[in-house]
Parts: sequence; C-alpha cells; structure tokens
Amino acid sequence: MTCANCLEMLSSYIDGELSADESAQVREHLQGCADCAREHGKLLDTSSLVRGRLMRYEAPDVLKARIRAGLVGSPREVEHRAANLPRRQRRDWVRGFAAAVVVAMVSSALTVVAVRQGAPDTSLASQVLTSHIRSLMPGHLTDVASNDQHNVKPWFNGRVNVSPAVPRLDSAGFPLIGGRLDYIDGHSAASVVYTRRQHVINVFSWPVSGRSDVTTTSTSNGYHLIRSRKSGVETWFVSDLNVAELQDFAQRFERASADGSTAIK
Amino acid sequence: MFFPVLSGGRRSTMADQRVERFEQVVLPHLDNAYTLARYLLRDEHDAQDAVQESVLRALRYFDGFRDGDARAWLLTIVRNYCYSWQKEHRTDRMTVPFTDDESAAIADPHAADDRVIQAGERERVQLAVDALSTELREVIVLREINDLSYREISEVVGIPMGTVMSRLARARKHLAGSLGVDSRKVG
Repeated sequence: MTCANCLEMLSSYIDGELSADESAQVREHLQGCADCAREHGKLLDTSSLVRGRLMRYEAPDVLKARIRAGLVGSPREVEHRAANLPRRQRRDWVRGFAAAVVVAMVSSALTVVAVRQGAPDTSLASQVLTSHIRSLMPGHLTDVASNDQHNVKPWFNGRVNVSPAVPRLDSAGFPLIGGRLDYIDGHSAASVVYTRRQHVINVFSWPVSGRSDVTTTSTSNGYHLIRSRKSGVETWFVSDLNVAELQDFAQRFERASADGSTAIK
Repeated sequence: MFFPVLSGGRRSTMADQRVERFEQVVLPHLDNAYTLARYLLRDEHDAQDAVQESVLRALRYFDGFRDGDARAWLLTIVRNYCYSWQKEHRTDRMTVPFTDDESAAIADPHAADDRVIQAGERERVQLAVDALSTELREVIVLREINDLSYREISEVVGIPMGTVMSRLARARKHLAGSLGVDSRKVG
C-alpha cells in the first residue's frame, strides 16, 4: 500500500468503515510508516476532540410541547374525528393544548405556581399560558400584523366585546407587532402582541363582571404571567422575558393606557 | 389540574393509534433532530421551527415509513427541511454552495483562525465546526455527534458512500488545521 492510498483511507479506518481486508492493509502500513502514523494520530485526536467537546443540544421543553400539541391536534386527526365524532372536536383541541402544557410541566418538573385564588384561577392561568404557547407556533402569532396601533386597535371592533388598549411603546423598546383573537375562559379575548428582542409578549384582555381589583404574578415553566384586573377588564401579560422586564412592560402598558382606552363596549 | 383532562378520553380510533405509534417510534429522536437543525441553521429559533415542521411532515409521511431506522428517516426530513428553508430565505449564513472544491471548504478561514485562538477548548471546537461549509459541517455532526454509519449518512444527505468518505476526510483535515492538533507520538 502506498502512503497516498493509506492517507485516503485513514478517516474511514478510524470510523471502522473499511472492510476487514482493507483495514488489515492500513494497519500493516501504519506499523512501518512514521509519517502516516503521525497523520493517524492527528485524525484520532481531532475526532475525539470534536466528539468530546462539540455541543449536543437537547430539544427544549417548549418545542416538545409545541410538537405534542401539533400531534394531538394534527389536521388529519381532527378531520378524522370530525367525521366520526363532530361534537368532540373542540374538546380534543382543548385536550391537545392541555397536553402541551402538561408535557412542558412534567418534563421540567415544574409546577404551576399559580395565582393565589385557588383552583379556578389555576386553570385560568393554564388557559392563558396555553394560548400563549399556541401563539408561538408558526403562523399563529397575529391575525392582524401591524406596528401601528391605529391599524391594530380598530381591527378588534366587532370581533371582541372589549376595546383593548394598544399603547405605543416602541420608544421603551417594546415594538408592537399586531393583534389576534383568542378564546379563554368562555370569552373571546383580545390579544395584543409586542416583542422585546426575540421574546414575544402577549397581552390578553377580556371583560369580567367582578368588581374587585387584582394584581398577581406567577411563573410556569419559564413563562411569567402577570394578571391585572381593573375596572371590569381582565388583563394578562405573558412572556418568557425575564420577570423584571415583563413587570416594567406591564407598568408602562398600564400607565400609557390609563386614559381609559380599554373600555367595555 | 390537567391530568384528568388528559386521561379523560381513551385513544381508540385508528388515527389515535397511528399517532401513538408515531410518538413511540419518532419522538425519541427529537434531540438528535434538534442538534442537526441547530448546526445546519445556526439559530435556536429557526431550528425549533424546523424541527416542529419536520415532525409534522414526518407524521404526514408516516404511512410510507415501514420498519427501518427511524432516526435516519427523521434526520433526512429535518435535513431536507433545513436546506429548503435556507434556500427560501436566501440567507447568506449558508454562504458556500454545493461543491467539492477544496477552496470552498471553509467559509472564512482568516476570521475563523483569529477567533479560534482566544477561545476556550469547547468554544474553539464550536467555532471550528461553525466555520466549515454546510456540506462538511453536516457530515461531521452526523458522524461525531449523531454517531451515524457511513451508510446512514449517505441516506440522510443523499450522496454516495464514497462521497461521505471523502467529505469526512476533508472535514477532519480542516478541523485538525484550525484546531491546531499536533501529531502525537510517532509509530
């Protein structure tokens, strides 16, 4: 075997991809040729360095949750069910999203540290979080995409019985990207979407009958949720942004909309 | 709170069983799929979207998948998705076109050298692999991280075994150079 032949086969040799015959020939050549043996050593070192040091990524929990949600609610499956069990269809979607949240929670062994009021609000927090996660799926973020509040705000007219605040917060580093309709706790909800760097912030709002004002902050699986109930409007701010910045956002949002631009119609 | 909701309906329809089997066969390979997408697209968010779309695509094609290597099958879908995504978005992150031309192997050799010098070992390896052209990077990732055989790599990338061999050899040669691997003991 010539050195050129040997060098050509070295990479396959260290991967164990040569035939027994070829392998024996390379081994024999290496014993008698210092130059090729040096190259062999270099290759082995390079390979083990890359193997040992190159980052292996784990699929993030939110991705697993998105995938689970997509599978349970995959169009084909829903079609199939719609044909046989039309009345269960919506419930299956709900199950899918609940499954997404469950996977996200179980896989990172986190519990919803939900709002203080107990069971009903825990499920409310999970509904809001589920809507947030669903909005992050490709193509689901906005029904109306615009960075101009004069496009976004009027879009909600007649679609939801709250006129959501859509303050302009670009100068504070929270550009508006649009709006979307959601369905939470038996209500149509207005979702106004902002961003901060690569993080999405959803502001959900819908009218409520309760008089009492509430403000709580909770965390679930890396997402922060701020709930604010004021003058008959329930508002939730949700993002994977750090909690300090989300609180800053919520304060700016509420200050900027304090002129009463959120109103029940 | 949610668990009763989940266990409430028992999966019984054909579609349910199909999804269940898909989950058992394909979902164990999500980490591998995500790792490949991260190295091909070099962006966390793009990689997540790519894996999600690929899995949904895989579910659509699942009827055509018989018993075989589910991991290589999923990686093929992910790889193809990443390539068409790159093409659509005309990003210049994937600067080097398909070619076996030696000079095209490293996207920017000088920039890579300078950055590699100061970084820690882990970072050095990362940067050196990042600096490889996509065609060399993917065979390195498939071989050294995903531990695929040459035959599996040739299926995933869609190239002959001989080309897998030569690309891996070239990729390692470049890496040995940019990582400054010295020959160890002779003989």
